[in-house]
Amino acid sequence: MKLTEKEVEHIASLARINLNEKEKHKIAEDLGSILNYINKLNEVNTENVIPTAQVTGLENVFRQDQSRESIKDESQQLLSQFPHKKENYLKVKPVFNNND
Amino acid sequence: MTNLKNLTIKSVRDGITNREFTAEELRIEFLKLIKKEDDNLNSYLSVFDASTFPIVDQAQSDIAGVPCAIKDNILIEGTITTAASKILKNYVATYDATVIKKLKSRGAVFLGKTNLDEFAMGTTTENSAFGVTHNPHDKSRVAGGSSGGSAAAVASGLAVYALGSDTGGSIRAPASFCGVVGLKPTYGCVSRHGLIAMASSLDQIGPITKTVEDAAIVMNTIAGHDPLDSTTSSKEGYDYTKSLNKSIKGLKIGVAKEFFKEGLNPEVASLVEKAITHLQSLGAHIDYVSLPLTDYALAVYYIIVPSEISANLARFDGIRYGHSSKEAGSLLETYLNSRAEGFGPEPKRRIMLGTYVLSAGYYDAYYLKAQKVRTLVKQSFDKVFEKFDAIVGPTMPTIAPKIGEFETPLSAYLADIYTVQANLAGLPAISVPCGKIDIDGKNLPAGLQIIGKHFDEEKILQIAHAYESTR
Repeated sequence: MKLTEKEVEHIASLARINLNEKEKHKIAEDLGSILNYINKLNEVNTENVIPTAQVTGLENVFRQDQSRESIKDESQQLLSQFPHKKENYLKVKPVFNNND
Repeated sequence: MTNLKNLTIKSVRDGITNREFTAEELRIEFLKLIKKEDDNLNSYLSVFDASTFPIVDQAQSDIAGVPCAIKDNILIEGTITTAASKILKNYVATYDATVIKKLKSRGAVFLGKTNLDEFAMGTTTENSAFGVTHNPHDKSRVAGGSSGGSAAAVASGLAVYALGSDTGGSIRAPASFCGVVGLKPTYGCVSRHGLIAMASSLDQIGPITKTVEDAAIVMNTIAGHDPLDSTTSSKEGYDYTKSLNKSIKGLKIGVAKEFFKEGLNPEVASLVEKAITHLQSLGAHIDYVSLPLTDYALAVYYIIVPSEISANLARFDGIRYGHSSKEAGSLLETYLNSRAEGFGPEPKRRIMLGTYVLSAGYYDAYYLKAQKVRTLVKQSFDKVFEKFDAIVGPTMPTIAPKIGEFETPLSAYLADIYTVQANLAGLPAISVPCGKIDIDGKNLPAGLQIIGKHFDEEKILQIAHAYESTR
């Protein structure tokens, strides 16, 4: 089983990753062999089995809606991580092109 | 000064208490040693100079003043945390992980951050964007992964102990390959707040140490409930050292027979069998048990993990922090290019796989099916634990592989066969060294894995300690 180029491109666009031709080819192959392996799960009978998403057994964990001690200069620290900014605003590229 | 390389947490505390050295002197010596020796290993990604974290002299605890290393996917406020990815190359953490807060409050001394597979995805550290970590026992071999830097640093004496994280064996695999002790705690035992998430339903932070006792000492500091991680248990104030010296006479230990099938290196098998015979000689009742889903568990793991990865790694988008592409004219291109430039091959592969199995039309066939088989895996352990106190077997099927030995992603994934089930079922598991194999004139270690019941770290530490102290 090998993924088609079209499938790889579709998945890459869902995952928001640009792939070059070489990467597309390699991923189609790698995913194919991994999917072949994981397809063996079809041998296991799972009729009437409840799926497990987590194993803690905890449900509805709540906490008081109270303010916590803030981290010193937290907003400045966060701002310093912005790749692009103007004053204290995060700057991003345009969402729409002029043609849209 | 004493031989730094053999220091344990216990012996450092004795040394400080008896005024043989101070915490500051010790740190200076360790920093010198790292500078001198780590070029050959690449166990550290960053090292903190003495001015980064002042030593709290009056700190009194069983880890105060003891130099440690932290896997570089755990945040320490104000310092660079990369997760061994180019996408976070210059990322400065804005807060402390809960485990770091706990260590700081008890006077821990941080030496630096250790290498790992990118975002902890791997079994060899070959997936690090900053180079492989070499095995201290043979530089042509890998240290294991993903916590390879932590295990190599401890094994080579460049840290007294270290923290790692384990999603499918990432503490136990490098511990086995490097000949040190590695404990993956029960899911929910140690807070994940401040651990860069890979697969959130499986990730746990745990200790990598030279002795079983040290692992228990570290657990006493890092375990416990955290309001910032709602999956943590409310169990508090537990003493993990209290049963270390108890006899294991009469304990019922199951040998996982599926762990001794095809694929296990015969020399590793014979060391593990010898260790099991030793446990028997200490009075434990040994019998074979079955974990019939062993082969399938790996398939479950490689569906659930990429699925959770594809969601967790969506946050790396080049907008708020991390690498942002200079080749972007629109918002969409910022996402597409930043992720293309920032992620290495393994995160890309896993994000793609996860996106595929979760995409429309495939969800039921893969993800839902995997979650159902996960239930069966958990039940297979519950059944064994009705009659047994612990399960033993090899940690890894082989000794540390040569650098480049795994030629395909799948061949590397298969090395996790004995470790992933403990994560899927949320169980605690420890790897302890059980001897060495002579190959090419080098001695390469193997590990004995002991898996316990939920929140029964006490029992596996007890068994591991009994083994370690008498073999």
